[in-house]
Amino acid sequence: MNDQNYRVLSSETRLNEEYIEVAKEDFRTACVSVLKRHDAFLRLMFCTDERAYTGCFRIYAVFSDSRINRFIVINSAVKDNLAYPSITPDIPAAHWYEREIKDMFGLVPEGHPSPQRLVFHESFPEGSFPLRKDWSISEDDLKQWSEGMVVKEPYKFMRVEGEGIFEIPVGPVHAGIIEPGHFRFSAIGETIFYLDSRFFYTHKGIEKQFEKLSFGTGVYLSERVSGTSSFSHSSAYCMAFERMCGIELPDRAAAIRTLVTEMERLYNHIGDIGNMCAGSGLTLGYAKGALIKERLMQLNERVTGSRYLRGVNTLGGVESDILQKSDDIRSTLAHVVKDYRDFMDLILHSLSHIERMETTGYVAKDIAAALGITGLAARASGIDDDMRKCHPHLLYETLGFESNVLTKGDDYARMLARAADADRSILMINELLDMHFSKDLIAGSYSVPSMQYALGYSESPRGSLFYWVKSDHEGSVFRVKLRSPSYCNWSAMPFAVNGDIVPDFPLTNKSFNLSYSGCDM
Amino acid sequence: MLKHIIKNLCSRRNTISICPEDITAEHELLKSLEELRDDIDAIYGRSLRIRQVDAGSCNACEWECTALSNPIYDIQRFGIDFVASPRHADMLLVTGPVSRQMELALKKTYDAVPDPKFVVACGDCAFNGGIYSGSYAVTGGVSKVLKVDLVIPGCPPSPLKIVTSLLAFLKQQR
Ligand code: SF4
Repeated sequence: MNDQNYRVLSSETRLNEEYIEVAKEDFRTACVSVLKRHDAFLRLMFCTDERAYTGCFRIYAVFSDSRINRFIVINSAVKDNLAYPSITPDIPAAHWYEREIKDMFGLVPEGHPSPQRLVFHESFPEGSFPLRKDWSISEDDLKQWSEGMVVKEPYKFMRVEGEGIFEIPVGPVHAGIIEPGHFRFSAIGETIFYLDSRFFYTHKGIEKQFEKLSFGTGVYLSERVSGTSSFSHSSAYCMAFERMCGIELPDRAAAIRTLVTEMERLYNHIGDIGNMCAGSGLTLGYAKGALIKERLMQLNERVTGSRYLRGVNTLGGVESDILQKSDDIRSTLAHVVKDYRDFMDLILHSLSHIERMETTGYVAKDIAAALGITGLAARASGIDDDMRKCHPHLLYETLGFESNVLTKGDDYARMLARAADADRSILMINELLDMHFSKDLIAGSYSVPSMQYALGYSESPRGSLFYWVKSDHEGSVFRVKLRSPSYCNWSAMPFAVNGDIVPDFPLTNKSFNLSYSGCDM
Repeated sequence: MLKHIIKNLCSRRNTISICPEDITAEHELLKSLEELRDDIDAIYGRSLRIRQVDAGSCNACEWECTALSNPIYDIQRFGIDFVASPRHADMLLVTGPVSRQMELALKKTYDAVPDPKFVVACGDCAFNGGIYSGSYAVTGGVSKVLKVDLVIPGCPPSPLKIVTSLLAFLKQQR
């Protein structure tokens, strides 16, 4: 590695993760060079407070080189002057991570184009950084924050000025049964010029909460980060823990995790295709989608005991042998598939619905790539990003998984991407039910090593999902970082709706169907 | 277009079929909902309007509320509906542990609901903060912020549970 313009202080490889330590002055150069040299994606960025051990904070940027299934993790120690060179000017996908690190740890990204607060709203006290290990907050400050009355520095929304421009503020409490977030449209007539948004209303301090729990109880919490991706979250969390401890997953457990991940994808996608019909007024389509989804959720409950597939995952394997209920899964699926085909037939023959979706909510490939858009939304815009393919895990390699990439980048492409994904899931579920596995559900005994760390990941219905866990000297939780796909994909929304009319927003919003809770953590 | 819609509505292939398990669930549900209708009639004059507020939920509780309107539960046929504006509501149904950044919005929504009004804490989080209780970022349940009239436990409570809890509650009010 001599052709590079940064100096490697240390490097270490664990499984498919390569950790490269550089001086913080070299952080930006190293990140840019890795991104270019490996044609990589920025997957996540985070910070840890190691002051008790090493006297410094440490920032990490995780890049994935999908061609060779490898993660390159550039990291730097930050101490004394709590600033580091921002990578956002070169890698726009970093823009939220750096603001989040500033809110949570107080590290300043020098050169960030818009370093205002991300997670915390106006009345959160200044100079208070919850993820620092020595952080505490007074009852008075908490009360002030809750009441939301003290506006220290008003949030600066992007303002569009000019004749005929007006603003439409919406939320955080919306008209339907939806999660809370604030949108501000700058429109002229019906046409949207710009959409600015504000999230983190549902911020629950989840990463800090993980630090208070044991690794085992963490599974329960990970299932409650975003309800509709409960299983993908707990799978990624368990995987991170298992990789950290060097646990080999029994093949039956791997099969069950693959199966349930696809069951989660299926009920989400069919429900979401139905929800898109609500966005265009195709009521019959909406009703059919909701009915099929309900039937799948009842199946979930019968085979796992939870409509949201909770309680299946555990550290080192799975709790229950779902493969024993394969008859129920097979017969319900056969029934559902018939209805699903009719449902798709209805949708694909509803010209008015398709016309509403075509060219609406367009996200160009280069914009999606620059913003680090992931999963289904990326695949609809021509980017081949699917964790099941680029970083094969569980049984996806055995199943010969191939991803589906579309190019149009509009609402219709996102709907078709969902349908293609659902078709794949049905095939894979049936294939898995026909395969044979050994009996073990949970790996044998293991111990939690001290000061070890690892990544875990999954492809949730919305896209790539990451956990990074680290143990402390006693083998307890030192840090859990989580990154949901919605966190990346919300950034695409202003681009998607630009130039569309305001009434198209609900449709485009549903075509992404992002989670607020997963994003807000 | 019209021809197509008519074809869709009439064709056997596109009708919504209900499998046997659904039918049993359906029967039970219908029975309880019929009873509920009498109670709603007596108290609210044939309609109960609910405004749902997500105060930091993980979104599973919301999806169960949304499911109440699907063709299996279809609660609208009994005069219960979720409304867009708090000004049209008789009941505020809150989910989530009340994150600090939602507390103000929740209070404002409550103030906008005309009297008489009921507050329902739906889900374990709304009851006492659930798994998030003790976190700096949540108040730890709806009762920390508003007077709660009914708690529906569960993580999340199923659609059937939500409906039957409302039924039992309305009976008490009668
Ligand atoms: S009670 Fe459970 S399902 Fe409901 S919001 Fe809380 S964690 Fe989610």
